[in-house]
Amino acid sequence: MNLVVYILKKDVMYDFLLDIKNKFETYVPIKKDITRFKILDNPKDIDFSENSYFPVKEHFFRKKEVIFQFNGSNFLPVELKSKNKIFFGLRRCDLNAIKNQDFIFMKQHNDPYYTSQRKKAVLIGYHCTKALNKYCFCESMNLTDYYDLMLFDKTNYFLVDAKTEKGENLIRKYKKYFKKSNYKISDKDTYIKTRKINKKDISKFYDHKDWDKGINLCLSCSACTEMCPTCYCHEIHDNTEINNPRNAKRIRSWSSCQLKEFTSVAENHTFRDTKEARFKHRIYHQLQYFKERNKINLCTGCGRCITGCPTKIDWVKIINEMR
Amino acid sequence: MKKLKIGFYGITGCAGCQLSVIFEEDELLDIINLIEIQAWPFIKELNYDKKFDYIFMEGLVADNEDKGILLKLRANTRFMVALGACAHTGCIPAYRHFTLKENYAHLLYEKKENIKDIDPNPIDSFVKVDYIIPGCPPDKNEIRSFIKDIVRDIIPKPYNNPVCVECKRNNNSCLLDNKKPCLGPITRGGCNSVCTNNGLECWGCRGPTQQGHKMQS
Repeated sequence: MNLVVYILKKDVMYDFLLDIKNKFETYVPIKKDITRFKILDNPKDIDFSENSYFPVKEHFFRKKEVIFQFNGSNFLPVELKSKNKIFFGLRRCDLNAIKNQDFIFMKQHNDPYYTSQRKKAVLIGYHCTKALNKYCFCESMNLTDYYDLMLFDKTNYFLVDAKTEKGENLIRKYKKYFKKSNYKISDKDTYIKTRKINKKDISKFYDHKDWDKGINLCLSCSACTEMCPTCYCHEIHDNTEINNPRNAKRIRSWSSCQLKEFTSVAENHTFRDTKEARFKHRIYHQLQYFKERNKINLCTGCGRCITGCPTKIDWVKIINEMR
Repeated sequence: MKKLKIGFYGITGCAGCQLSVIFEEDELLDIINLIEIQAWPFIKELNYDKKFDYIFMEGLVADNEDKGILLKLRANTRFMVALGACAHTGCIPAYRHFTLKENYAHLLYEKKENIKDIDPNPIDSFVKVDYIIPGCPPDKNEIRSFIKDIVRDIIPKPYNNPVCVECKRNNNSCLLDNKKPCLGPITRGGCNSVCTNNGLECWGCRGPTQQGHKMQS
């Protein structure tokens, strides 16, 4: 959008964060046993060495959300509360995952619960300089630029690229920390070398015997979908009060295609009853079905489904080895 | 509406599962209003001979006396609910199956004769069990929603998702990555991953998930 690139010195970055902390709820990656996005306390805690174990999806698409209440005769809409949040240090894959979720919850469907959380959030990226771990594969997922601000790490300073009005406003507001620069962000800066998926279309491999390598190890525990930044399956159920069943809350909560319960209907019929069907469905939805319908990849190649898997099923490797 | 006649009984066990019904402090009075507690030896009378709609049975069969009580109660009730891990899977007392009697019997059991007459087994190896409320101890929310359902003629739905679902939702790091033997991926959840939240491995108290695993040889 704009061609002005700013410079943010690394020691100034800490002051900048302390400053925005007063106005915004600032989430930064902090490493303890694993890296998580947590509310900023001390800027020195920030750790860019690895990607956060969990995505920031839960801040927009809530794990559990009351959609409305019912008191026997009337609907009582819930108040949509949200805070001004800044997410600092999101990776390119996660930003694209937010893009996909925006597409689902804001373009395809007008979801007020998601929109109210998402509207006020500012996304500040941190560009990877190399592949973060041996599992990620974003190079073959055609990621695009989708951020408010993006930081490019240049050893002792950051180049800051603003993509949106929101990001530009933030820089204008805190302009004492930023310096203008003539640098132009090129493809060289945005390139991340990772491993790749060597197949564009996996539709004709559905019955391939190599899938068994993954299916035999799969425990259907749904850790992969719980950690996925793009998975958006959910279930809706009513919670009634114990002494007055006419008072009820309708609750939306996360669900997962890996669970039998997800496709079970009346008479205990389950559409995806076998582990095989569930295992393939996730991968095919991420790589194939969503693309056929909406022309974008749902998967963004962050590799969390493999790092989080109890048995470390590397389905990318399985696909790559198929002949 | 006629109130359901309910009994809470315990055979060999620590009574913790019956306690977790009582721990329902905030809504205990609401629950008692919905049902008629006909027997609860723990706090009320025995009433072994009355007819029941639901019996919540805690503990496992460890001797012939237990077996007698269980069979008698089963004959008097429409539905039998296994309350807690001992009744459901056998839990800790059933570890006796995996140890050699010679190693421990002389330490504790030499005087108590009746302990030798039967191997400890969960109640479903003796009688038909209609519902289970798993957990050691069971989650009080689960007990509440179970009672809520049966009062309204809804078939209670057991929670079948693995512990990993809730554990990941609680943003815990994976204990398997830290080389700890966690049974979370294959264990039925619903406990809000209380053990793994505190860094303890899941030991499978709620029994296996019904997700259709095959044993790998």
